[in-house]
Amino acid sequence: MVSRVILLAVVSVVLITLLSACGGSNSNLNTSSNQPAGETGSNEGGQATGEGSIKGELVFLTNRTDMVGKQYTDYEKRFEEQYPEVDLKFEAIQDYEKNMKIRISSGSFPDIVLIGPGIANSELPKYFAPLDDIEFSGDIWFAESKASEGKMYGVSSGNSTVGIVYNKKAFEKAGINEIPKTRDEFMEAAQKLKDAGIVPLASNFKDKWPLGAWVYDVPTMMSADPNHQNERAETDTPYTMDNVYGQSWSLLRELKEKGYLEKDINSTNWEQSKKAVAQGDFAMYLLGNWVINQIIENGAAAEDIGFSPFPADNSGELKAPLNPDWFYAVNKDGNVAAAKAFVKWMIEESGYDEFAGFIPTLKDKEASLAQLKEFQGYNPQMIEAGPPSSEATEIQNKAQIDQEAAVQEFVLAKDPQKVLDKLNDQWTKAKKSLGY
Amino acid sequence: MFSRLSFGVQRKIVIIGFIMIPLVLLLTFAYYPALELIRLSFTSWDGLSPDKQWVGFENYREVFRNPEIFGVFWHNLAYFVIGIIQNILAIYFAVILNSRLKGKHFFRLLLFLPYILNGVAVAYLFGYVFDTTQGSLNLFLGSLGLPSDTSWLGSESFVNYTLASIGLWRYMGFNMVIYLAALQSIPADIYEAASIDGASGWQKFRFITLPNIYRIIELNLFLTVTGALEVFDIPFVLTNGGPAGASETFVMKIIETAFQFNNYGLASAMSVVLLVIVVAVLSVQRYFLNRGDH
Repeated sequence: MVSRVILLAVVSVVLITLLSACGGSNSNLNTSSNQPAGETGSNEGGQATGEGSIKGELVFLTNRTDMVGKQYTDYEKRFEEQYPEVDLKFEAIQDYEKNMKIRISSGSFPDIVLIGPGIANSELPKYFAPLDDIEFSGDIWFAESKASEGKMYGVSSGNSTVGIVYNKKAFEKAGINEIPKTRDEFMEAAQKLKDAGIVPLASNFKDKWPLGAWVYDVPTMMSADPNHQNERAETDTPYTMDNVYGQSWSLLRELKEKGYLEKDINSTNWEQSKKAVAQGDFAMYLLGNWVINQIIENGAAAEDIGFSPFPADNSGELKAPLNPDWFYAVNKDGNVAAAKAFVKWMIEESGYDEFAGFIPTLKDKEASLAQLKEFQGYNPQMIEAGPPSSEATEIQNKAQIDQEAAVQEFVLAKDPQKVLDKLNDQWTKAKKSLGY
Repeated sequence: MFSRLSFGVQRKIVIIGFIMIPLVLLLTFAYYPALELIRLSFTSWDGLSPDKQWVGFENYREVFRNPEIFGVFWHNLAYFVIGIIQNILAIYFAVILNSRLKGKHFFRLLLFLPYILNGVAVAYLFGYVFDTTQGSLNLFLGSLGLPSDTSWLGSESFVNYTLASIGLWRYMGFNMVIYLAALQSIPADIYEAASIDGASGWQKFRFITLPNIYRIIELNLFLTVTGALEVFDIPFVLTNGGPAGASETFVMKIIETAFQFNNYGLASAMSVVLLVIVVAVLSVQRYFLNRGDH
């Protein structure tokens, strides 16, 4: 009898904790999403009478889970010193793009979120407040990237460029004294590295995403036209051998055929490649500047890592694309006035660009990272990426074209022309069915 | 208050109270999402917009018409072939470990152990085994004087078999334990009688063991077929569908369709098709396996 009572007690305790766990997370969700909505009334009233009063709870949904309890604690303290009536909170989530989308589609989401390419510009006014009235101390990059009907809905949190990240020791060992400025010089340098037993360029071919540079950035460098992705919407054959995509992908194919990439490109390992570049077993990456800090974390001395523009052609004029990272966007039903103050503060005073190794969003602010200074020392022509057109994205999604996978196919195929034909075929069909 | 009620009423309250909780959980987290999935499969929802446009059977037509989508099932075939081999091996080991053998508990444990490991961890582990330049498999082959630069995960022709062999390593022990349990439930006197009649080992296996574990074979084949149709974690971690999409499985394609291309409607239709295929394959299999009984 006693044991039965104990059993019953144990079972009920388990059930109660289970149920309360469900209820607990639910009620949390409610408070975080309802409170900003409750604040709305007072804020809108404030805005109607002039400048909105900056107070109340402010929640920033961030992807940097690593900064919670470290830099964010400091940000919160400094921001609340300036705006004592604001209660700033950080909510960090993983798998950001997917989860953020679910939150937005559910109708209630935090005051400040980060948006990427996943939301069409025409949809922005449905969810976000225009940010044109934030007065930055100077011109900013990518003011028109997240705009709809002449209004700005997103401010870039930081920017990056793509170029050659290289190990100076490896270059020294192979006898390369000068950074290659033309395509021929680049090939020569790669041959020297190969002869010295060093893998010239780490492509990380297997992981697919590192090939993005060959889809977006190398074509930009080759054509000096940042809108090549959008211009695909105007043609039935966006992928041909003699346009930027064919040329860019052929260059990668040539590097592979000459043995300038990893020994087996189908069996690469991203984490190991960072160590290999740090140790000088691999010499170069063609990636964004964000990778520099990661190589240093993997054991390279900061002064051994260099960063230079990638010479995509033989003209000798170096070009580099400028790409935005996530954009800050403000929930139009949230605490708008305080959110705008926070966005301005993040761009101008937080020091986030320095911490993340970004090129600052303010045009005349200088990058702090030594490698970025080296990069800017080569005086490359910076090409600002344009806003993505929703037409090209729609066609691509309808056709289900994964461009990085297409690069893989192109490089591995016996007959690369066939890969392009297949892509064009998918493209044309999708374009027609959407009526463009 | 509760004690004043009659025993029958008390019993009913307790039973209903206890049944309600799992039922509510089941309905909210299994049946409601499933119904919602079917509803979404008739729309062209992009995963974000509040209006979900009704498109009828358009998504289903697309699934069957587009070879890029349906052709992926050929990749799953490798997992099915290896799955059959896995079952034969499992029966073999089960029969051996059911006999009088020294240290059989130790061997049972050894063969079962891989099943307990986490799937993603297993995939990472085999990433180091199958690595072309530094992988332990190629190093081992090299030390035996065999060719040591095979790209196990990079050859479009057999990458799926490489991946499926990891599944064999992982699930064989699990199948074996199920077979073992069935074997132990066969009364020993049947074998004894057969031995007295002069039956050989193979005859005993064929005429006593096999018929007795028929139901269990059926169960294991069911697990193999659904497993082969729904492979996801190993190729996702190890090759991410590469090289050039050669190891992409149907479930990976569904995830890509939904979360990369934002075609939630089409992805829902693909999920429903997968569900229907699993049910169809099982019905056919049951039909053929049950014919023997009548």
